[in-house]
Amino acid sequence: MKKLKLTIEGMHCASCASNIEKSLKKVSGVKDASVSLMLKKGNVEAEDSVNVEDLKKAVAKVGYKVTKVE
Amino acid sequence: MNEPEHHHDEPVEDTEIVMWKRKMFWSWVLTIPIAAIMLSERLFGYELIEMPYSIYAILALGFPVLFIFGFNTMKSGIRGLFTFYFNMDSLIALGTVVAYLTGVFYFTGVVSDYSGVASMIMAFFTTGKFVEARARGRASYEIRKLLELGAKNSIVIRDGKEIEIPIDQVVVGDIMIVKPGEKIPTDGIVFKGESSVDESMVTGESLPIEKKKGSNVIGATINQDGILYVKASKIGKDTFLAHIIELVEQAQSSKIPIQRLADKITSVFVPVILVLAILTFLNWFLFFGDLSRAIGVGVAVLVIACPCALGLATPTALMVGSGMGAKRGILIRKGEAIQTMKEIKIVVFDKTGTITKGKPEVTDIYSKVKENYLLEIAASLEKLSEHPIAHAIVTKAGLKKYKKVTSFSVVRGKGVIGKIASKEIVIGNRALMNYKKIKYSDFNSVIEKFEFSGKTVMIVAEGKKVIGVIAVADAVKEDSVDAISRLNSHGYRTVMITGDNERTARAIAKQVGITDVIANVLPEDKAKKVLELQKFGMVAFVGDGINDAPALKNSNVGIAMGTGTDIAIEAGDIVLANSSLIGVVQAINLSKATFRKIKQNLFWAFAYNVVAIPLAVAGLLHPVIAEIAMALSSVSVVTNANLLRRAKID
Repeated sequence: MKKLKLTIEGMHCASCASNIEKSLKKVSGVKDASVSLMLKKGNVEAEDSVNVEDLKKAVAKVGYKVTKVE
Repeated sequence: MNEPEHHHDEPVEDTEIVMWKRKMFWSWVLTIPIAAIMLSERLFGYELIEMPYSIYAILALGFPVLFIFGFNTMKSGIRGLFTFYFNMDSLIALGTVVAYLTGVFYFTGVVSDYSGVASMIMAFFTTGKFVEARARGRASYEIRKLLELGAKNSIVIRDGKEIEIPIDQVVVGDIMIVKPGEKIPTDGIVFKGESSVDESMVTGESLPIEKKKGSNVIGATINQDGILYVKASKIGKDTFLAHIIELVEQAQSSKIPIQRLADKITSVFVPVILVLAILTFLNWFLFFGDLSRAIGVGVAVLVIACPCALGLATPTALMVGSGMGAKRGILIRKGEAIQTMKEIKIVVFDKTGTITKGKPEVTDIYSKVKENYLLEIAASLEKLSEHPIAHAIVTKAGLKKYKKVTSFSVVRGKGVIGKIASKEIVIGNRALMNYKKIKYSDFNSVIEKFEFSGKTVMIVAEGKKVIGVIAVADAVKEDSVDAISRLNSHGYRTVMITGDNERTARAIAKQVGITDVIANVLPEDKAKKVLELQKFGMVAFVGDGINDAPALKNSNVGIAMGTGTDIAIEAGDIVLANSSLIGVVQAINLSKATFRKIKQNLFWAFAYNVVAIPLAVAGLLHPVIAEIAMALSSVSVVTNANLLRRAKID
């Protein structure tokens, strides 16, 4: 298991945050995802096998951009 | 040079705010003429531009409003419609595009012209977003200040020379030079120099702290008057400030139970509204046969619905609350604690280090042998233990040379055992003496005398025979009395739990105003005692994050006390960065006030939608009025969250 912190650009509404959460949770291997509109950050808990690129894609799919991964 | 502090006091203009401001401005520049064209006839019976040219004008002016200044909204909204990840923008995009198209289809003769409404909706939408973004910026003001608190540069000595380097190049062991008025770059230990340091920004402690050689200093705090040479001990993610930031971020991404319903609604809200708008449209069109009216009502339904107010209710209030806390050194780690706090009936305090300073000192020695000899053998054993009482005895003895100790062992919660020159030495409390079958009845009266005055007594036995006792006192923290009396007067049941004996514990409890004492508790049993107390009501446990971690976990709300230079980031739902017990009172007040604000916000957000949507469906709201109402609802939620700052929590 690993924990990743994503900085996400472009959110301006609560439904944005919940869409990103939903999209991230659909990535296989992701155990939990929570996105904070206020901090413009998302916390993802995932299997070690999960690829950062897949997470970025999941965020991009709903229309937002990951600017930093920690 | 480090960044001067005043830079951080200026509010940071968020790029998001700037963006909405620009969009708002240009939207209105074009929308005001549109409004003038539309309203001139209705209000003054005078056509500014004759029909149908007025429609051309409105379409021409409205195009950039919708598709240039509203480009991002359109893009994200339409993407949402196609990917089925609907969002707020989907509603606005659909509503404005439909309204705009009425202007185009006017010429086919099937529908009357609504196109001006599209620009007005977009203009009010951007205005609402601008005001909301600004209010959100205010809500996160303290937290953002905290995130930006870290020093950017540091002056270090490398190869005998003073050089200034970026903070990320500082390594552990570097000697940093901190001049008066400057920020201490990272956590470290004073190597040379004396000064006082303002730590208020990270611990909430308002008085400057004196620092001298050997003192721990915290990165991002401000050196006041002298030059300090500080040896860097922690960098990057390990620093005190990094831990605080980590805690604050955890809180923001943790979910509060009361928010769950709102989240569920938010996630299905937009599709439900889309369906509702279509049904409303069909209803008006099929039953009343008025296409124009049906479109107008449908658009009103689309734009009045506001998932944002629901979605912002909790995070904004939590943001303001955690900012207020952070300023006082109170770090809310789990949002859930805010909700649980109002149910708390019992507050359990660990004694050592929580109610007391946790720095015991030897106050009395009663010895049957030479006092020096007693101290010498006691200190030789205790040197090997890490317990604070052991430390007190070692300090008191101040030995240069220790005796050789063999077969040393620590009996957790009881004392230590070891051998000096083949004689067994046992130092500890009564329980340990009983266990080792050592008689101490001759000493009972003197032990009790010490204990009645709140001192902890260590019995020293050599070869099964007691040779003396050492009394250790741990002074009560200055504000413990005040904090506990405030909790008592608010109707909380306050309890003290300790491994100490009943008499010592009671004496300390009496000093601070606690009547409920659970004494003789082994460290590992504290968690069990917490569970037992939960039969009488929800329990908050206040203790340090290291020894009391299980008890903190078992309690309904665990409040972990910092030690001044370290904070436990894994234990406790709420973490206090400073070691003051008043922080517990503040944390309770803050949690309650924040939760009240969250409830208020959620109520208003729900109420707004419950009232406004039916009105729109019934065709009672003009689309522009609907949009204004929508914008106001999310702005009012964020503004209300900012009002939390008025709550009295100190």
